[in-house]
Amino acid sequence: MYAIQTTNLRRVFITTIGVVRRKPKEIVALDGVSLEVLPGELFGLLGPNGAGKTTMTKILATILLPTSGEARVMGMDVVRDTARLRPRLGIIFGGERGLYWRLSGTDNLRYFSDLYKIPPEISRKRIPELLEMVGLSDHADERVEGYSRGMKQRLHIARGLVNDPEMLFMDEPTIGLDPVAARELRHVIADLNQAGKTIFLTSHYMYEIDALCQRVAVLKKGKILTIDTPSALKRLVANLEVVEIECLGAAETAIEQLRRHPRVEAVSVVNREQAQVLQVQAEAGAELVQEFLGILEGVRVQKVITRQPTLEDAYVKLMEGETLNV
Amino acid sequence: MILRDLKSTLRVLNGSFVMQAKDRVTSNFFIGTLFIQPVIFTLLAVGTYYYGGNPDLGLYAVIGTGMIGIWNSNLWTSGRIVQDERRYGTMSLLVASPTPFGLVLAGKSLSNALASIVAIGITFATGLIAFQLQPDIQDPLGFAFGLLLTLIAMTCLGLILGSIFVLTRNAGEFVTVANYPIFILSGLTFPLTLLPAWTRPLSSALAPTWGNLVLNSTAGVILFNPWIGYAWLVGLSIIYLLIARLLFVRIEKMVRRVGSLEEY
Repeated sequence: MYAIQTTNLRRVFITTIGVVRRKPKEIVALDGVSLEVLPGELFGLLGPNGAGKTTMTKILATILLPTSGEARVMGMDVVRDTARLRPRLGIIFGGERGLYWRLSGTDNLRYFSDLYKIPPEISRKRIPELLEMVGLSDHADERVEGYSRGMKQRLHIARGLVNDPEMLFMDEPTIGLDPVAARELRHVIADLNQAGKTIFLTSHYMYEIDALCQRVAVLKKGKILTIDTPSALKRLVANLEVVEIECLGAAETAIEQLRRHPRVEAVSVVNREQAQVLQVQAEAGAELVQEFLGILEGVRVQKVITRQPTLEDAYVKLMEGETLNV
Repeated sequence: MILRDLKSTLRVLNGSFVMQAKDRVTSNFFIGTLFIQPVIFTLLAVGTYYYGGNPDLGLYAVIGTGMIGIWNSNLWTSGRIVQDERRYGTMSLLVASPTPFGLVLAGKSLSNALASIVAIGITFATGLIAFQLQPDIQDPLGFAFGLLLTLIAMTCLGLILGSIFVLTRNAGEFVTVANYPIFILSGLTFPLTLLPAWTRPLSSALAPTWGNLVLNSTAGVILFNPWIGYAWLVGLSIIYLLIARLLFVRIEKMVRRVGSLEEY
């Protein structure tokens, strides 16, 4: 039995446009998604903003209904079997919301333990253990409104574990965290997976997915582009090298010219404050830097480096044409 | 099994009750509202009768104002509870938990209902201090029993409204619009006999109407058999609960379909 199995999952949101004469508009968030996750697996879902990652997580976590198709978690249907399924799931969202800010960390965990019908003799023991695990024991009785973003995120993890779930859904759990806090959180996630929990993790941080996940699905505009291991995805770009050109004000025509270059596979643009970083995936060993700089003539180039491709480059190749904002 | 379910249900009710109480106690705005609003309402309502040549209706006005306090505590806070859950971003987590949202709201509403007893105390104290109105309750036991049934019935009515508030992020606006028609239809601001006959069925369906009659009759202000009122309050509580349960099941499905749980 799969931990998660979806078949042709589709979700459409209806919104309205216009103020006086409102017209309905359909937004397809998921468009025929089929995937399987094995028990005990740490499965990653990658995709840009608006790809459908959160919608997918919410459907699997019984928060949203699919428009059509089927989704089963631990063999149970997410539409019909919610009463049996919900006690066995843990849900962790990224960001600062999802906690009672005026109450303490302990109060939050105690309340969610009650909601998950955990007997008090168990929750009394489990809550201090969870707070210890996420490093919040010293702040357990402080109001959440005084917590830093990282502390709130760690409390989210503890909250998602009050029922000792078999299956954990984590939607961008490290979003907005500083690098140290994010690394600590990744350790916690890895430990939970080693303890036997199946984890469905969404993220758009490649290194996070690369470091943690056994398999990855890449989602774009509601459709699965590929499902594979991070190393297999990296092989997609094994015969390439990446030329990173940091510059100011590269015109779209120049970028298009780079894209059309016969030995270029993909070009992505990462905006870093005022600067643009053009990540050009080109044939390995082709010595193309001078040619690229010729195409960018007149553009102020600050730095050029050539490096080996990473999972991020495989992702960029799959997402070709998307602009990434860092 | 049944005992275990009952225990966990009571734990959820208690947990939500305590949670709401702690959340409210840490809100200066709520405390201000709890204390200041009954004083202003009592001064206005009792003053209208007192200086309008009907000082003997002062206790009627005090009870009516107390009922407004209970109603506000239930309706206003039912809306606030749902809005707060949206604001905290906890609404979808509550829906995804194994506990029905109605039970969470019931625990929180009971907490508010209990707080509204404070509002009644302040109402009587204001009447006494400002207008020397002695709280001479003819049948104190009957009054206390009536108050308890009124609080339960109003909480159940609050659950129906709370379930509707789950559907919309505009609960606050709805509360403002709904308040005054309810005060009038329930006879809280002036006697029901002044209203046209066609409004009677609407008044009968509202728990505040019977709560107001019961409290006024046990206080000795009007002539009315309180047992009729008790029966109506119990019956309405059961009907409200059944409607709320049905609505919560349907509305949960609806919000999962529409995806509006996190709109704020």
